[in-house]
Amino acid sequence: MRALQGLRGPRAPSLPLLLLCFLAAVRRSLEDGLSTAAPFTSLPVQEEMMTEYSNLSLESHNLSVTERPNMPAEKNITLERPSNVELTCQFTPSGNLNAVNVTWKKGDKLLEDNYLVNATGSILYTQYRVAVINSKQMGSYSCFFGEKKQQRGTFNLKVPEINGKNKPLITYVGDTVVLICKCQDCLPLNWTWYSGNGSVQVPIGVPVNDKYVISGKHANETRLKITQLSEDDQGTYWCHAIFELGESEGHVELVVLSYLVPLKAFCAIAAEVVLLVAIILLFEMYTQKKKKPSDDGKEIEQGEQLKLDDSNGIENSGPRHRKNESVGQ
Amino acid sequence: MAYRAEPPDGGWGWMVVLSAFFQSALVFGVLRSFGVFFVEFVAAFEEPAARVSWIASIGIAVQQFGSPVGSVLSTKFGPRPVVMTGGILAALGMLLASFATSLTHLYLSIGLLSGSGWALTFTPTLACLSRYFSRRRSLATGLALTGVGLSSFAFAPLFQWLLNHYAWRGALLLVSALSLHLVACGALLRPLSLAEDPVVGGPGAQITSLLCHGPFLRYTIAITLINTGYFIPYVHLVAHLRDLGWDPLPAAFLLSVAAISDLVGRVASGWLGDAVPGPVARLLMLWTTLTGVILALYPVAEVPTGLVALTVAYGFTSGALTPVAFSVLPELVGTGKIYCGLGLVQMVESIGGLLGAPLSGYLRDVTGNYTASFVVAGAFLLAGSGVLITLPHFFCFSAPTSKPQDLVTEALDTKVPLPEEGLGED
Repeated sequence: MRALQGLRGPRAPSLPLLLLCFLAAVRRSLEDGLSTAAPFTSLPVQEEMMTEYSNLSLESHNLSVTERPNMPAEKNITLERPSNVELTCQFTPSGNLNAVNVTWKKGDKLLEDNYLVNATGSILYTQYRVAVINSKQMGSYSCFFGEKKQQRGTFNLKVPEINGKNKPLITYVGDTVVLICKCQDCLPLNWTWYSGNGSVQVPIGVPVNDKYVISGKHANETRLKITQLSEDDQGTYWCHAIFELGESEGHVELVVLSYLVPLKAFCAIAAEVVLLVAIILLFEMYTQKKKKPSDDGKEIEQGEQLKLDDSNGIENSGPRHRKNESVGQ
Repeated sequence: MAYRAEPPDGGWGWMVVLSAFFQSALVFGVLRSFGVFFVEFVAAFEEPAARVSWIASIGIAVQQFGSPVGSVLSTKFGPRPVVMTGGILAALGMLLASFATSLTHLYLSIGLLSGSGWALTFTPTLACLSRYFSRRRSLATGLALTGVGLSSFAFAPLFQWLLNHYAWRGALLLVSALSLHLVACGALLRPLSLAEDPVVGGPGAQITSLLCHGPFLRYTIAITLINTGYFIPYVHLVAHLRDLGWDPLPAAFLLSVAAISDLVGRVASGWLGDAVPGPVARLLMLWTTLTGVILALYPVAEVPTGLVALTVAYGFTSGALTPVAFSVLPELVGTGKIYCGLGLVQMVESIGGLLGAPLSGYLRDVTGNYTASFVVAGAFLLAGSGVLITLPHFFCFSAPTSKPQDLVTEALDTKVPLPEEGLGED
């Protein structure tokens, strides 16, 4: 049902209803910003819904749909608590305003009511209102303009995202680890943890034992502490945040290494150092042996030579060497 | 026993340069890049960043105060066994740290044990280096000290990679294996007997004679003053830039630019120190005065171009003063007493280094910006260069020193800047 420019409800509206509609129109025209210049008057169905859920907060979101198909108009809306949501699409058609067909869809399902269409100047506005009270009202809502070549704007209603950790967490056998999941500004009703092996998710902490401890310092985070790690504990852990409007999940990957892994690298490098030291000292002994077969006729042990001698360059031993040789001969 | 009359100035000396290069990389490169571990320690032990940064502070303090011990031992036994022992101690400290269950363990293992290991390696190596060179001493020292700057570039990404693959325990184990290479570097330090060695006597006699040596004391005071001001820009530059409105990434990039100009300054000054005749102390005074003036100009520069130019100039001059700082000491005390001399200077100058950064932070807290800190740092540097004028033969232009044996301990190098995390966001 479309209403163009003004109220087209029942032929003989009752006075309180008219008053209500008038008040609603005035309120909306005062509230609306520049984007929705045209005040929408409300349908009776909508007004009833509004009064029923009037204690819920109102969220308004706008989208501008253009005729360029390669830039789809899309907006992501994060909802945590039940609220009234107002979605407005505006469209500037090239041709006649009145010839444009406006429809709304949730997912693939065509929506019949709860929306209004208005035209101001050359811009076409359409507004859809929904009271989101549980997960059934979450999803993708799209406004469509036109019959054959449809221009589309999409609003995605989602629960807040949970951040786990992108990089895998490295731990060792026997260690204790704390896995943290948190979300920015949200307050979930409850948190649950699952460990995933492939696609199967197994809940954690159902039999309360010492190995797993679930805690959380603030409401927007949850911590899973795992003690006595073993290589079986390796894998992906999922944290689920339960909201009134649905569930959201994040994941943390845990890698458990055995101590042997870095130890082997350590031993390899240590062996290399020992080799280097051996090469350096052997080279020194070799060059000293070559240069000074006898030192002033005395037999000096190689070890002593290393400490006492100062042969440290080929060019330095020149004069002394010659002297020794002449003496030795 | 054959004693050399002259240092070899080449030959095996270049292997000692190589050894010193790797040693300064493994001691100070590791210390400077340790900041990547701090983030992990904060998360693993749930301690504030200030307490975690004490690990590096203790390590630096032990390394510097323990320098005389390294010197004395090297005088008695030669540098090789001392440095090799130091390498084993440093690696052992890191190895034990990988088993740590509390922050105190890390203080003791990395701070105390590895710090003592580093104390036994750095000073003897640089002293040994200065004994091997006379005419090309500054160049050799400058080249050896480039190890610090280059390793900071290499080790920070390496440590991060190790942390990503092995977590901090495994990474510490592998850094310990890396530190074992200090033993190999120590093996390269062939003992050298110079003509002055029997004359100067044992370590006790040397230390007593040094403490009564006027020029040595004046030099130590000068280096301490220089050290107090030297590190302040390294520690506070990024914070100062952020105060002026810079983004973190360009600020960090500017610090890297300063590090590059620091490297260039070291080598250039090393070459210059050998090429210019006369006491090297004059060059040291020149570079120190320039650095002091640049630091004092920092508060005046607000424009990005001015700051970049000042930072590049600061990097160059502060890098330039390090090799000549080490070269002055042999000229003053002779190569015979170099081990003990270097150790004493390092110990005393560390007081300046430890005081400098907190003083600057305190001034900033009191005044609200870094103007006072930079000006005070510049003042310290200028004061140090003023004291340098009192060194002997400073104004003597006709007496060329036959053995320019100034071993200015790279106190500046040994002063590893306190990691940024420790001083936090001022």
